[in-house]
Amino acid sequence: MKIAKTLSILGIAVAGITLAGCRAGGENQGLEYAPQMYHSVAYEPLTQIMDSETKGDLISTREDGKGEYFNSNINNPHNMNMREPVANTVPRNKQGYLPYRYKAFEIEEAGTSMKNPIELSDEVLTEGKRLYQLYCTPCHGTGGQGDGKVGAIIGGVANLTGGAYVGLSEGHIYHVITKGKGRMGAHGSQITPENRWKIVHYVKQELQGGQNADNATATTEVVAEADQDVSQVETPAN
Amino acid sequence: MLSKRSLVGVRLNFHTLAVLFFLLIGTQAFAADPSVDNSDEAVAAGKALFNTNCKTCHRLDQKLVGPALRGATDRAPVELVKSFIKNSQAVIASGNAYYSDLYKEYNNTMMISHEFLSDEDLNNLLAYIEYGDTADPAAATATGDAEGGAVAAGGGIPNEYLTIILGVLVVVLLLILIVLGLIISVLTKYLAKQDLDEDDKEFVSQKTNLGKVFKSDMFVVIVTALVVALVAKTALDGLYSVGVQQGYAPEQPIAYSHALHAGTLEIECQYCHTGVELGKSANIPSANICMNCHTHVQNVQGAEGVSPEIQKIYDAVDNNQPIEWVRVHNLPDLAYFNHSQHVVVGEVECQTCHGPIQEMEVVGQHSALTMGWCIDCHRQTEITTEGNAYYDKLVQIHSDSKDALKVKDIGGLECAKCHY
Ligand code: HEC
Ligand code: HEC
Ligand code: HEC
Ligand code: HEC
Ligand code: HEC
Ligand code: HEC
Ligand code: HEC
Repeated sequence: MKIAKTLSILGIAVAGITLAGCRAGGENQGLEYAPQMYHSVAYEPLTQIMDSETKGDLISTREDGKGEYFNSNINNPHNMNMREPVANTVPRNKQGYLPYRYKAFEIEEAGTSMKNPIELSDEVLTEGKRLYQLYCTPCHGTGGQGDGKVGAIIGGVANLTGGAYVGLSEGHIYHVITKGKGRMGAHGSQITPENRWKIVHYVKQELQGGQNADNATATTEVVAEADQDVSQVETPAN
Repeated sequence: MLSKRSLVGVRLNFHTLAVLFFLLIGTQAFAADPSVDNSDEAVAAGKALFNTNCKTCHRLDQKLVGPALRGATDRAPVELVKSFIKNSQAVIASGNAYYSDLYKEYNNTMMISHEFLSDEDLNNLLAYIEYGDTADPAAATATGDAEGGAVAAGGGIPNEYLTIILGVLVVVLLLILIVLGLIISVLTKYLAKQDLDEDDKEFVSQKTNLGKVFKSDMFVVIVTALVVALVAKTALDGLYSVGVQQGYAPEQPIAYSHALHAGTLEIECQYCHTGVELGKSANIPSANICMNCHTHVQNVQGAEGVSPEIQKIYDAVDNNQPIEWVRVHNLPDLAYFNHSQHVVVGEVECQTCHGPIQEMEVVGQHSALTMGWCIDCHRQTEITTEGNAYYDKLVQIHSDSKDALKVKDIGGLECAKCHY
């Protein structure tokens, strides 16, 4: 009698503890209730199950012998579901922006020939400021003086308010954001073209006091000179 | 005997160090071209120019992106130094051997041109470069560190002290218990020796009979009830946690830390999670975004060599191999969640749903992500209609109602909004 009682209590305790073990935490993903309904059968861009070994439970209907939830694309490099766009195709968008054509070293041409397509307004400036805070402050600092927290570690960050930079044309700044220059990496993949032009407005108007906003040629020549030998050496026919 | 000897040793060491120091400074500081102005005004004017234009790449006595500048006019003629500062590429292109070699030594890092500087500016700059801030820079950084340390130490009672205080408290409580026990036993012994009437005697002897209490039905019932309730609660909690991954915090292939990047370095979330404002997915940054910084940052705290964790990024980039981050938050396929709807239109902070990410070394799932969690928030949260013309008509229609316009009122509880 007593043994039966203790056993039953023990049983309940064990059941409780096992159930508590279903809880997720650390490396443990926890128990799933209806996994067949949760895991995508179609290829998902940011979620994929690479495990092709683990067989499912009783009702797996796969015919290729792979693990029950395996949903990686075996035809792609590294079995990735995401792919880069097909070469030589042109992505189109609502704003009508075409892919950026200047090569990284064609900074001079970019600087002289591009105009900011977005009209300047208070709204654009506020948005530009917000975007500048998101993407540029780590290095260039809130005031653009090259004193951001990451900038201090990287070193050599341009002081956008300094004499050497206030005269940069808008196209030049756009090119630097898109393709990078020297120690600064390319930020084109992170920021849409429209947002890049908004940042350019903010940098030009607020940080650099509107100097050379209309892209006068006198100062761009100076910049061009500095990069002269690079572009001369490398510019191919295109 | 021993302590005396070691004391002498320390002093000797200090002397040699100090002498070395002065020797070093001596060789560095006094090699300027005599034509460089050393007046205080020129140095001060030069310092201002230096701080806005040169400080991100140069220090006077320390190599940064560019060389330590003190003594520049000794290494090259003054006029040449000036034209180098104005347009370094032109000087290098003209074939000057010293600067061409320097350019190569610095991995062809281009120094930006400074054509806007007047001749006077250049003179002031050179004055600062040669004669500015002669106070020994090592001492300056040392005091800086000391201040930093003092500030850090000032922040509240450290944890160890709290534990010690707690420990002492527990010991004191135990001591009090023991003393009380002793008093009781002494008292009972004393009372037993006394002449007492029946009632009092019963009272004294009854108290010691604890065994009876343990065996009483009441006690057994209470304890069983407690145990059953506890087990039932863990079991129920366990059942409810099936399919909920709250707390899941897997180890990632690279020991990337949000506490460092988003916390200490204050990099905004959108810098890496570029999709949050654009669409459904927040996106995990590809390696090229890491490389914006990690082409230069190869180790923590400026240590030598490449950190093994950062090396993994380089390997991924060199071999064009994807980094297989382990997904943490994952709604089942049957539910649809869109980030831009919540972050841009709803203006909900990341931290409301993801918790204090900027303090996490390893990302864990903070919220339950159950349907109840979504619905609860939709019942309680007012929508921001200000400046959003899309909602103007809705606000008008809703203006009769006493309650504020919540997400539930625009269909946030309809099954088909999340399940389709
Ligand atoms: C990872 C750090 C980093 C970030 C983020 C960054 N920059 Fe830079 N930026 C640099 C560095 C370093 C330089 C100096 C490049 C050089 O001269 O070698 C620079 C230079 C520049 C220049 C001057 C280029 C020239 O002609 O010499 C401009 C303009 C600029 N950045 C704009 C921006 C804008 C706008 C953003 C935000 C979208 C941004 N940067 C974000 C590091 C950064
Ligand atoms: C973008 C970073 C950068 C900025 C900004 C910069 N420099 Fe330089 N500087 C360098 C580098 C790199 C070198 C090494 C030579 C080279 O690579 O061209 C150098 C070399 C020099 C030299 C030659 C040093 C020697 O040992 O002979 C002088 C002088 C100099 N810089 C002065 C200045 C002054 C003055 C300013 C500010 C007006 C300035 N630099 C701004 C990067 C920079
Ligand atoms: C320097 C780039 C960077 C910044 C800045 C950054 N993250 Fe991340 N984040 C990552 C990377 C890489 C991962 C994937 C590895 C991991 O889970 O730790 C990630 C993962 C996450 C995840 C988990 C994704 C999943 O698998 O479910 C969340 C949530 C997240 N970040 C939120 C944030 C928030 C909120 C911020 C701003 C406070 C932020 N991140 C800032 C790079 C960044
Ligand atoms: C905006 C600049 C920036 C970006 C983007 C960035 N990092 Fe960092 N990261 C840093 C800096 C700066 C440090 C060093 C901090 C220090 O010196 O204490 C660092 C340190 C690290 C460390 C620590 C190394 C160690 O040994 O502890 C790792 C790992 C790391 N980063 C991984 C990444 C990954 C992965 C990404 C891309 C998702 C990334 N970082 C993106 C600036 C950045
Ligand atoms: C209303 C709640 C909510 C807010 C606000 C929110 N997230 Fe999320 N986040 C989620 C949910 C839910 C998921 C899981 C989505 C899924 O599995 O489809 C998720 C997933 C993610 C992921 C994993 C990858 C992905 O794209 O699914 C990242 C990274 C992330 N969030 C970052 C952020 C950042 C950065 C912010 C702030 C700008 C943010 N989130 C704001 C709820 C939220
Ligand atoms: C922190 C609060 C919060 C949480 C948690 C939350 N939401 Fe929302 N959700 C909102 C707000 C605010 C809006 C209204 C945005 C707007 O103005 O359109 C919204 C809108 C929506 C809408 C659009 C409704 C409509 O009629 O336009 C969908 C769909 C949605 N959420 C799905 C989800 C799902 C799925 C989850 C759980 C994974 C979730 N939400 C969790 C705050 C939240
Ligand atoms: C705000 C978004 C939202 C709305 C509205 C919503 N759901 Fe859900 N539902 C979810 C999410 C998210 C999950 C996944 C929860 C989880 O993983 O634990 C879910 C899960 C479920 C599940 C459980 C599936 C399983 O096996 O775990 C059922 C059933 C369900 N929903 C039915 C409904 C019905 C019926 C309605 C309408 C009355 C509804 N839902 C409205 C977001 C929503």
